[in-house]
Amino acid sequence: MTVKIRFFARFRELLGTDILTEVAAGTMVTSLIKSIAKKNPEGYAAIFDENGAFHEFVILMKNGKRIDIADAGKTAVVDGDEIAVFPPVAGG
Amino acid sequence: MIAIQTNDVDIGALIAAAKKHGTGAIVVFDGIVRDDNITEMELEAYEDVAIQELEKIARDARELFGLLHVDIVHRIGKLTIGENILIIIVAAGHRKEAYDGSRYIIEAIKSGVPIWKKELTKEGGRWVPGEHRHGKQKTG
Repeated sequence: MTVKIRFFARFRELLGTDILTEVAAGTMVTSLIKSIAKKNPEGYAAIFDENGAFHEFVILMKNGKRIDIADAGKTAVVDGDEIAVFPPVAGG
Repeated sequence: MIAIQTNDVDIGALIAAAKKHGTGAIVVFDGIVRDDNITEMELEAYEDVAIQELEKIARDARELFGLLHVDIVHRIGKLTIGENILIIIVAAGHRKEAYDGSRYIIEAIKSGVPIWKKELTKEGGRWVPGEHRHGKQKTG
C-alpha cells in the first residue's frame, strides 16, 4: 500500500516532501517516519532524540488531523494516508 | 474572504465590502514584514489544512463575538520588508466585539495554523521559532 509523507519548514529542507512510499500493512506512523528520516542524519536528529523518541515539539497529522506523538507508535497507516510532520507553527 | 495566497490584497476594497448592515466598527489587523536585519521573508503553509483551520477560526470568532463579517488573508512565498503578511478585517456592531474578535483571530492563527516563516539574511536564513503547547523548548 502507498502512503504520502509531507514534511514542512526546516524538516522539509532536510528531508524533502510529498514522499510517496510503499509500506507493509500494520506499519505504524512512528516507524514510517523513522524509515524516511534515517536517509538524512540531520533530518533524523531534527525530529527524533538520541533515544529515538520524537522531540516534544514535533507536530504530527494524519489526513489533516493532529495525532499525539505518544500515540504515533500505536497508530497504523492505511493505503492512501497522508502523514504530515512539522515543527511548531509560526504564522501571523 | 478566507485565503492563503502569494498576491497582496486591496485592503480598502475589503473594508468597503465588510460594511454590512448593522456595522458600527471595523478593526483591521495588518501584519507586516519588519526590518529585523533581514533581506526577505519566505512563508510556507500546509495549505489544505491551514485554509480549513482559518475557516474554522473565522466561524468561531463570528459566534463568540457576534461578528458581522470576517476576512483573513495570509500570504505565502517571498515577501520583502514592509509588505503585508496577514490581513484580518472584522466588522461588528460595536468596537469591543470588533477588537476582541480581531485579537482572538490573530492569537488563534499564531498558536495553531500550520504556516511557517523563514527570515532570509545576507548570511543565509533562519526559521522563526514557533509557539508550541506541550513543552518549553522552541525550535523552527
